[in-house]
Amino acid sequence: MPRESSNLVQRSFALMPQFIDTKVAEPPRVADEALIAKAIGGDRRAFGQLVERHYDFIFRTACKWCGKVSDAEDVAQDVCVKLASILRSFDGRSAFTSWLYRVTLNAVRDMQRARSRRGRNVDRYAEVAPDEYLPDQEDSAAAKEMWDAVRRLPDQQRDAVLLIYAEGMSHAEAGVIMGCKEATVSWHVHEAKKTLRGLL
Amino acid sequence: MSNHDDFDDKLAALKGLNPPAPNEARRNQALDAAMLAFDAEQKHATQGSSIISRLSSMFANARRNFVMDNRLTYGLGTAAVALLLLPLGYQLYTSTAITPVGVPPVTVTTTAEPAPLGGEAEQTVEVLVNGTAAMETPTADLEIRLDDRGEASPPVEEGEADMAVMAPAPEAAPLGEVAKPVMRTLAQPGGAQPQMSAGVQPLSEPFAEPMMVAPTDPSGDTFAKFTESPVKIVKNEPVSTFSIDVDTAAYSYVRRALNEGWVPEPDAVRIEELVNYFSYDYPAATDAATPFKPTVSVYPTPWNDKTQLVQIGIKGYVPPVTEDKASNLVFLLDTSGSMDQPDKLPLLKRAFGLLVDQLGENDTVSIVAYAGSAGVVLEPTSGSEKTKILSALDNLSAGGSTAGAAGIELAYQLAEQHKVTGGVNRVILATDGDFNVGIDDPEDLKTYIKNKRDGGVFLSVLGFGSGNLGDDTMQALAQNGNGNASYIDSFKEAQKVLVADAGGTLDTIAKDVKIQVEFNPAVVSEYRLIGYETRALNREDFNNDKVDAGDVGAGTMVTALYEITPVGSGAELNDPLRYETDAAATPDAAAATEFGFLKLRYKEPDSDTSKLIEVPIGKDLAVDSLEAASADDRWAAAVAAFGQKLKGSVYGDMAWADIRKLAQGARGEDEAGYRAEFMGMIDMAAVLRPNVVPATPIDETEVAPEPEVVPEPEMTPVPEAVPAPEAVPVN
Repeated sequence: MPRESSNLVQRSFALMPQFIDTKVAEPPRVADEALIAKAIGGDRRAFGQLVERHYDFIFRTACKWCGKVSDAEDVAQDVCVKLASILRSFDGRSAFTSWLYRVTLNAVRDMQRARSRRGRNVDRYAEVAPDEYLPDQEDSAAAKEMWDAVRRLPDQQRDAVLLIYAEGMSHAEAGVIMGCKEATVSWHVHEAKKTLRGLL
Repeated sequence: MSNHDDFDDKLAALKGLNPPAPNEARRNQALDAAMLAFDAEQKHATQGSSIISRLSSMFANARRNFVMDNRLTYGLGTAAVALLLLPLGYQLYTSTAITPVGVPPVTVTTTAEPAPLGGEAEQTVEVLVNGTAAMETPTADLEIRLDDRGEASPPVEEGEADMAVMAPAPEAAPLGEVAKPVMRTLAQPGGAQPQMSAGVQPLSEPFAEPMMVAPTDPSGDTFAKFTESPVKIVKNEPVSTFSIDVDTAAYSYVRRALNEGWVPEPDAVRIEELVNYFSYDYPAATDAATPFKPTVSVYPTPWNDKTQLVQIGIKGYVPPVTEDKASNLVFLLDTSGSMDQPDKLPLLKRAFGLLVDQLGENDTVSIVAYAGSAGVVLEPTSGSEKTKILSALDNLSAGGSTAGAAGIELAYQLAEQHKVTGGVNRVILATDGDFNVGIDDPEDLKTYIKNKRDGGVFLSVLGFGSGNLGDDTMQALAQNGNGNASYIDSFKEAQKVLVADAGGTLDTIAKDVKIQVEFNPAVVSEYRLIGYETRALNREDFNNDKVDAGDVGAGTMVTALYEITPVGSGAELNDPLRYETDAAATPDAAAATEFGFLKLRYKEPDSDTSKLIEVPIGKDLAVDSLEAASADDRWAAAVAAFGQKLKGSVYGDMAWADIRKLAQGARGEDEAGYRAEFMGMIDMAAVLRPNVVPATPIDETEVAPEPEVVPEPEMTPVPEAVPAPEAVPVN
């Protein structure tokens, strides 16, 4: 592991430049991998730095995925708390951001499942929620419509479509995050398109 | 098709959705929660104390903010459970007294009701070791385990155990079943060891085998693979050739393993290194011109009364103290992150401190670090400036995870700059197994070291720690660098290697030392070289000065053992050939008085041509009984027997108690206590790897012959010989 870490650093940022929003966060000076290693070793400050650095990424990802600011905030907090215990399971085989993306996606999904179990109360609540997330002004209604349609897709189709079209990843990169093969991603996209054509 | 493209465009609109910036307050709240969870995690990981109160207070906060929305608790609840279970499970797995590091968790079978002796236990309940229980009672009731085939073992409970052991002979088979699970528990390193009793050993006989083939292997260290040298027929292959081996790394490694309670893998046990660890009272050569003379003795084999052992001993010339050779030492030290363990970098610092203490103003020391903090740590400094050297050593810290610069080239460069003619020029590499010294390819690295060796700078390797140790690489590098590989497992070992044997470690008096023995087919029918498997040479290599071999330092002792089968002893493992003509085998009278002929080649340190020493191994050297052999001879035989048994050799199995007895009688003065320590290792090995052959009863007269190793348990004269009640360790 140690010997590969230099490669990892290069990979993590070369692979997904869009994850590092330069407007929000400066490119990190200390490599994520170093912080992770320290945090696993019990370094409180390193852990704090790591979470702080990636909070925005987690939040934005969650936001896109669940479509509501309040939900995204809950999910982001949930992920931050979880990180304390699951960070040691990060094995360095994929880039940290890929791993984090997956963790966030899972958290979103957990939340949505829990809500569907809890029934209509929450749905009713959600309908009147004031914090419905609004697209930028220049965004057409079409974009919002499309998002809503995509969010209604089955989990894997939705993930595939969003990773590829919203995040601009290649099928291979999406495969890394979804934990499946490139061909599987392509198939999910194909299926999703079929469904969406029916919906729109 | 165009439809398809349109749709892609539509989908591209997904990108146009930019989430708003996160709310600062919520952001801080999330970060606080994360820190809280982290602290709880850390606290939990180290102390295992409860964190529930802290977490619930966090939930309370969350609820206050989202009064109507109880969704949040779901996620946090999951996190809380994860926080509790993950570290708890992790800690229990790694840190309870009964769970040895690197060994899978123990499965315990508790029996609801005693089943009839010898019958199948049907009412067994399998329980995983419960965490809390295990913590409260570190040596918990782990008497019984399921065996490999998944058959439930007969119950062993308080009274049951006594019955089991005292039961009469015809019941021996079920007895074995009883004994077996007990043995297995004992084989696990851990608290159960002291409960071992020799009495159970014979019971396990039919079952010891499956355990023997599966030694615990938690190490992760790598060793060169080798198979034991086979028995050779003198008529076919009268000549045996090998390079000497002065390393002792295998001994320290084995000692560490046994002390930590696990059986080292067979390839880690190089018998010649075990034997060579000890000092023997061989007469030393008197001058540097002939740096050593071989000492040969022949005595009966302790594990086979029909064969004999030929012991060849060499002691290197010890230069008088007045000959203060200047040394130019370069320490090439691994400071990678993995060295940051008490038995690695801190031990390394103290070890090198010992070495520095012995240096004088003639000597220079430089320090180069690689990996982590790479580069020259100390420019060449006179040995008299001890404070400077020691503080440089002290300031080293392990850290960093990536490969360092070209450490080895830097080290050799420094060594060459300050080369002393006629003195010691040596790079000492200390590592835990990371050889990322700047040359990646192992073959290139060997060639590089070889070239530097020819230029007069030698290399020694010191290994530290376990888990990552590249023993094979260590050996290969040291051999190519005319140095030795030592394994430093303790401060005491550092003291031995760097102080007591410093001359042998640093000051080479002869290089490329090869031994060739030609056996006399008229006297010896079969022979076997014990150990030296990794050092075997071709017959023609002996006279080829280009072939590299082992080196002898000042005062170093080297011992080689052959087990020989005299003609007509009846102990031959090979049947005579039906069509063999004996016409050629009529030796003259002189030849019939010799077992064989020993030839030894060596080069002086600065020479490229070898010198030859020849000694006949006469029959007059042989002694009739083991008692007549010298204590050193018996000691060497005991160590060899120990090594063979520990690695599960197919040759010569002795009972541990017999090995111990043999060693006990040969301890001699043992001023440094190394031999006493070895006695402890025998005891430990006896617990970890119980006998296949029953021990001969110690207190009785020596009449009882060792029973053959037979699969039928009825054959073993078991129960009468066993002191019954304490035989099975039941709490």
